[in-house]
Amino acid sequence: MTRYAMVMDQRRCIGCQSCTVACRTWNDLPMDIIYNPVVSTGVEGIYPDVRLTYTPLICMHCDTPPCVTCCPCGASIQEDDGIVWVDSAKCMGCKVCVNACPYGARDTSSMVPRLDEYVRKCTFCKDRVREGDDPYCVATCHQKARIFGDLDDPESKVSKLINGHETVRLFEELGTNPSVYYIPAKGGQA
Amino acid sequence: MSVRNPNMIKNHYWTWPIAIYLFLGGLGGGSLFLMMVFQFALGIPADIMAVGGFIALVCLGIGCFFLVFELGQPTVFLRVFLPPSKKGDVSGKSIIKWGAYLLSVSLIFGFLWFLAPFFAWLHGFTNWAWLLGYAGMTPFKDFCLILSGLTGFGVVVYTGVMLASNKSKVFWSTPLLPVLFTISALSTACALLSWCCGGWTSPTGPLALAYAELAHEILHTIDLVLVIAEIITIFIYVLMLAGAGNVRARQVAHRWLNSKLFWGGMVFGGLVIPFFLYLIPGAPSLYVAPFLILCGGCLLRFLVVLSDERRIIPGEDRFFERLPKGDEKFLNTWEKGENLY
Repeated sequence: MTRYAMVMDQRRCIGCQSCTVACRTWNDLPMDIIYNPVVSTGVEGIYPDVRLTYTPLICMHCDTPPCVTCCPCGASIQEDDGIVWVDSAKCMGCKVCVNACPYGARDTSSMVPRLDEYVRKCTFCKDRVREGDDPYCVATCHQKARIFGDLDDPESKVSKLINGHETVRLFEELGTNPSVYYIPAKGGQA
Repeated sequence: MSVRNPNMIKNHYWTWPIAIYLFLGGLGGGSLFLMMVFQFALGIPADIMAVGGFIALVCLGIGCFFLVFELGQPTVFLRVFLPPSKKGDVSGKSIIKWGAYLLSVSLIFGFLWFLAPFFAWLHGFTNWAWLLGYAGMTPFKDFCLILSGLTGFGVVVYTGVMLASNKSKVFWSTPLLPVLFTISALSTACALLSWCCGGWTSPTGPLALAYAELAHEILHTIDLVLVIAEIITIFIYVLMLAGAGNVRARQVAHRWLNSKLFWGGMVFGGLVIPFFLYLIPGAPSLYVAPFLILCGGCLLRFLVVLSDERRIIPGEDRFFERLPKGDEKFLNTWEKGENLY
């Protein structure tokens, strides 16, 4: 069975925000919504051993997503392949899922009419993925810092990266089982 | 993990309507529950609290209105009652869905119960026999009160559970929050009922007045105990988070501890002063103390709802701090198809 996951190789990310812009363009997002910011804590270390690490963020498409079970309308959906998305036709904008998400990956736009607010989030570009393409942020990343694939396929690039490297996931202690894995930069060393 | 400017992270997805809803839901549900307890556990007829029951129903109704008002799409709020549409739809597990069911059942059966004392009172003006016929349907009336009281207690507990289930919210995700909300809701319900008790005694006469007096005494005593319990719970709650490992939780707890609204409004104005006023016979214990308890309960909901900070991913604060602010109008005008610049 297919189970999609993404690997963020922090050794390769240079914080150019191309993925951020590409996502906004592809999904035609309102100005106050950002699905995948690339964040950084700033320069670390003491000269000459200084480093700058970037953390590309996105919806973690958790295996046990707290945002799905809390939705009272069934608008928050987890597909069999692990993709979590919002059916805007069912959403009533109660924002309970926005509060439930530990990663701040869901949002409502205040730039739409008051009676037409619904929750938006990254869908792993499921329409592209179903046609065999990569999500648009992955396709755009010229550093190849974002890698997407099937976690259940041992030959896929994500499986090999996760099995071959030390990876971390955000807020694992919350029991959400995120599908986004990070390969830490470790101060510029591979 | 350092937090540079936590205000730059988008918070407050739920605002004042939800705070009012949580307060009114707890107040209404708690009042119906207490009326049930008085009738069936203490043998004091709930009819002597009919005015309080009516106000509780109005509170639940207004609470529902604010809940719907806060929705992004208020016109489609009935979606919350739809059953799961297909296999794999887990909306049946949603706490908010259960809350909506509890609220509706409590409201409907509470209203059906209220019709009985109301019709008995109305009969005095109209002499229509069928009004008294409905008022005399004791088993049905009791059934309505039991159902509405039990679901009312469900509403009381659910308001806290709903917030505490958000693991991402550093100040909400503690089992003490449902305890605090339950104590506070029952305390405000005591205040409301003692305020209205005997105001409209459906079974008039000396017996009803004696019942009303007894109910007053019991409600005041219960509320005194609940106020002490609330003071202890709230201090454990805030001090526990003030020493928590999470930086954000500590920040919010210290904000509470340094807030005049918390100390002056909630602790002293809403708990300590009414506690002592309850001990003074006459107007202070009958009117002033319950009013202050209600204000304190409402303030608690506001303070909690607006303390909805989530834990920060390292670097996230820095990113949002650097986003341009104030260009929204320009960019939005551009987006609407007509280039005005």
